[in-house]
Amino acid sequence: MSRKLGLIALLLALALIAAACGDDDATTTSAAPTTTAAPTTTAAGQSTTTAAALTGSIDISGSSTVEPISAGVAEMFNAMYPGVAIKVEGPGTGDGAQLFCSGQIDIGDASRAYKDSEKELCAENGIEFIELVVAIDGLSVLTSTQNDAFACLATSDLYAVLGPESIGFGSWADANALAAEIGAPNAPYPDADLVITAPGEESGTFDTFVEFLIDGVAGGEDYAETRGAESVRPDYVASPNDNVIIEGVAGSQYSLGWVGYAFYLANQDRVKALAIDAGEGCVAPSAETIANGSYPFSRPLYIYVNKASAARPEVAAYVDLYLSEQGLSVIDQTGYVRLADYAPTLEAWQNR
Amino acid sequence: MATRAAAPSTTDLVRQSIQGRRLGFGDIAFPAALLLALLLALLFLATLLIDVFVRAWDAFAGRGFSVVTSPLSLNAGTAGLWQSIMGSLALTAVVAALAFPIGVGAAIYLEEYAPDNRFTRFISTNIRNLAGVPSIVYGILGLTIFVRFVRAVGAGGGVYGKNLLAGGLTLAALVLPIVIITTAEALRAVPSAIREAGFGVGATRWEVIRYHVIPYAAPGILTGTVLTLARAFGETAPLLLVGAATGFFSMGSAGFIDRAVGPYTALPVTIFSWARQPGADFRSLTAAAIVVLLVLLLTANAAAIILRNRYERKW
Repeated sequence: MSRKLGLIALLLALALIAAACGDDDATTTSAAPTTTAAPTTTAAGQSTTTAAALTGSIDISGSSTVEPISAGVAEMFNAMYPGVAIKVEGPGTGDGAQLFCSGQIDIGDASRAYKDSEKELCAENGIEFIELVVAIDGLSVLTSTQNDAFACLATSDLYAVLGPESIGFGSWADANALAAEIGAPNAPYPDADLVITAPGEESGTFDTFVEFLIDGVAGGEDYAETRGAESVRPDYVASPNDNVIIEGVAGSQYSLGWVGYAFYLANQDRVKALAIDAGEGCVAPSAETIANGSYPFSRPLYIYVNKASAARPEVAAYVDLYLSEQGLSVIDQTGYVRLADYAPTLEAWQNR
Repeated sequence: MATRAAAPSTTDLVRQSIQGRRLGFGDIAFPAALLLALLLALLFLATLLIDVFVRAWDAFAGRGFSVVTSPLSLNAGTAGLWQSIMGSLALTAVVAALAFPIGVGAAIYLEEYAPDNRFTRFISTNIRNLAGVPSIVYGILGLTIFVRFVRAVGAGGGVYGKNLLAGGLTLAALVLPIVIITTAEALRAVPSAIREAGFGVGATRWEVIRYHVIPYAAPGILTGTVLTLARAFGETAPLLLVGAATGFFSMGSAGFIDRAVGPYTALPVTIFSWARQPGADFRSLTAAAIVVLLVLLLTANAAAIILRNRYERKW
């Protein structure tokens, strides 16, 4: 009998502990940021009366590239307005657009402008939005730090080894004939293993790279028009995890790969970024060259704000903070580059 | 006659075979191969553990326990696991509240009440098949059914149904077949003599189950359930689909009910999210999160073992 009682007591205790912890979750999550809130609030010079008054919720989703910026601003915002519930996640630009245009989220993060099909979906559902460019991301073409053969590649070189006509090339030398045909300046290449690790098709970074390299958006030749190319070669190691790409690139001497500039910055000791020549000389990625637009492979990062949501004070306050000097400091911390001029963005936001 | 007399007796043959024969190649090679397999498995485990602990050391040495007590963030300097740990525990509580009664109930029915016909055999086979379905499939089930269900009953909260309840329902559906199977095994392990003795003195089926079968099977059922909950605790894929937060979230000034239906996250999802982040700091934080997950899971497994040893019966 006592044994049975003990068993029941144990089961009850387990259930209670679990339930109590679930309860704890709620209290602690709001309590923890509040303690860190004090200094930030004073630094921001926000009136504490409005800060205390703001409640409601903000739901943010979209590009995993923009996620660190939005999350950083959200953290800052939470310290100022602990009464507002915020959620930031990063399933990808396309997934975020689906959620945004069905009215499920207030702000959509995007590492490219929304496509026409996505904007049509928004229109169908009666969702009006404000498109805001918030930062610039340089797309870095990487190779191993041991690569002594190249420091700079032209877009034609990249096309020769990464374009759809290079399917099956396992060595740099395999691309020599194609490179000569399209006049790539760095050919002939060494007879070395060509190991490519890069993001897969689901990634916004992949889409952007295809636009830069194949569609000539970066300033090089438009291979979609001249050679009928549609995408890059499919036969490479694709990974949605940028750290896996860094490992792949670092692991072979004459490797190639591409990631966002922030990832290159965080891994400079393991990989080397190649300078890119899109017809106007070699430009290496750096904060300056990305901000002033001279680095060819750079892209704007967007947030899309639902107009109906923007009428809510907590969402307006969040976007205000995003575009303030304090909010923009998150961009520096996360390794992205600020726009040269925020006036158009601020104007678009104020004219909502 | 002479041949029969010359034939050695069975006893002699056995004795000779045990004592006299030299060891053949197989006698040495087979155990050696088995030992090698064991060592290889242990080697993988040890490599994993050492690697994770070494990587995690930086985070724990640099940040101390704030790694565990800070809220979720994508800033490596302040990111912590508190919300993730609590979210995982809350999810496990939801799973336990749902899967335990339903699973045990289903198993008792199948083992004790259901007639052994084609229909029940079909159901049993399918429960076993369900236990082998990849977890991501349950994630899709959760997204298409539970998220909508939670939204439809008005418990969607501010996140359109992608909340703790939907996550808990999804994980409960995921582990339900395993709870049923382990419970059924525990019930089957109760000797039928116990049941027959009960019936023999005139007990009803209910009395036999209530006072004899379940008490005897309880340690097995509990052990199985704790291990099953540990499985739910470590599950990532379905939660990614039913909206566990990866970047940052705060509950705001929401009341208790709003919190239960608001945003949430879980430890494995945080590990997934952090592994995608750049920089050595996040590599170390990811390892630290894995260490915390391992510690919690090993604690659960230890609890299961203690339960089993404490209450195990021998016949």
